[in-house]
Amino acid sequence: MRTAFFIAVLLGFSGVLAAAHFVPWMGHTRLPSQTEVIASGGRAEQFLIRLPVDRIAATGAGASPLRATPAAAGIALPSELTAQPLLVEHFKVRDSAGNVIGLAARHWSSDAHGVGTAWSVLIPSRGALLLTAPGEAKAALDGALQKAGYRPGSAWSGTSAAPAVAVELTPRDGGEVAAGSDEFEKLDGNYKEVWKVTGVSETGELRGTIELNTVTRRGS
Amino acid sequence: MKYLFAMIVGLLLGAAAAGGVLYYNPLTESSGPEPAAADRALHYDLPAQVLGVSLGERALLPTLGSRDTALWEDTIDRTALLGLVLQDDANRPAAVASRLLAGSARTDLLLRGVVLSDYWLLTIPDEGTLFVRVDTNVWPFLKQTLLPVWFFDRPWQGPVEYRPTAGPGAQNTAIVIGATGRFSGVEGSAVERYRVTTLNRAANKAEGVGELHLHFFEPQVTAEQPTPGDG
Repeated sequence: MRTAFFIAVLLGFSGVLAAAHFVPWMGHTRLPSQTEVIASGGRAEQFLIRLPVDRIAATGAGASPLRATPAAAGIALPSELTAQPLLVEHFKVRDSAGNVIGLAARHWSSDAHGVGTAWSVLIPSRGALLLTAPGEAKAALDGALQKAGYRPGSAWSGTSAAPAVAVELTPRDGGEVAAGSDEFEKLDGNYKEVWKVTGVSETGELRGTIELNTVTRRGS
Repeated sequence: MKYLFAMIVGLLLGAAAAGGVLYYNPLTESSGPEPAAADRALHYDLPAQVLGVSLGERALLPTLGSRDTALWEDTIDRTALLGLVLQDDANRPAAVASRLLAGSARTDLLLRGVVLSDYWLLTIPDEGTLFVRVDTNVWPFLKQTLLPVWFFDRPWQGPVEYRPTAGPGAQNTAIVIGATGRFSGVEGSAVERYRVTTLNRAANKAEGVGELHLHFFEPQVTAEQPTPGDG
């Protein structure tokens, strides 16, 4: 009986230590990745953000009145930070099948040399991606919508002939996949960011979809 | 029957002993590096300088103020998203940051501790944006402060200081990658330090100061000094 007791002590002791070491205590629910292999090599993956439901918060000044309105869950920045145009946006992120799979932050800022955009996209079960690009012109989305007939303070919707205004906010050759972690570590590639707006409410709330179309390949 | 009883008692004793080893395990309690002279040091008061916070429904964090949208979906219910304003040495607002946090697969309760992956997008107006990738070991904070005070109503022995940075860069520092503006192409390292100044479960109040010390491998990227005669 003494032998059985000591074997049990050893089993309990080593079992708990093994569980502490091997159990994935911080595992996240993972959905199948909606990626496809492309002919030129690498893999393509589209991330979607549906407006307004996926917008968590937005704040800024002088960058885009439509994207940092009170309707977009505005959060105030100190005036010291808004001497230059600045826009900070937080979103939930979906895969191309429409499932929420992560979070994202987008910073648009300007300096003496120009404007720049940076996205941090976190898919908890897979890692994070850093996307960077020369920023779009100030109020690019606002201008495109006004060309399509939107007037601030009034509601606007796309027509059956033109249901959405599509605005590409990355340059013609796309932005850069600049860094990544875990599954995205050591990936090179590029991305395109397209905002497809189907409507704007009287309070300035945007309806539509943001598409982040990434093409990545294993870097050196 | 005696054998079964002995086995059960033995299993429980062994498990309890292992629990003690894990609780007092020095491998999971190590502090991060001490901040050295930094190219840029920023700090923020919690919760005063939190612009917004969204918490996953299964994220075990005390509420730091008003919440934005709840993160209830299964895929993101152990994550958090914070917006912060950071100040410079002169206590002037100097930067805005978005932090995306999630429990890390590198969590190892035997060898590393409870690790969070913390991704900062940090914009310094008129300069550009940085990406900071931090592994944060929150086990010392959980063990010494949050669990006893917040969840077991023990009296708090504070203020206390933590240096939770645990990688993924060299010497357990965080990795800094320049994203836009004058930081494009810049690389560097960072360490964090927290000072918890108030923790009162009854009043649902937690306060502290967070610091982020940035070191750039390119020495030219330092805080811009005003030119004599300007302004």
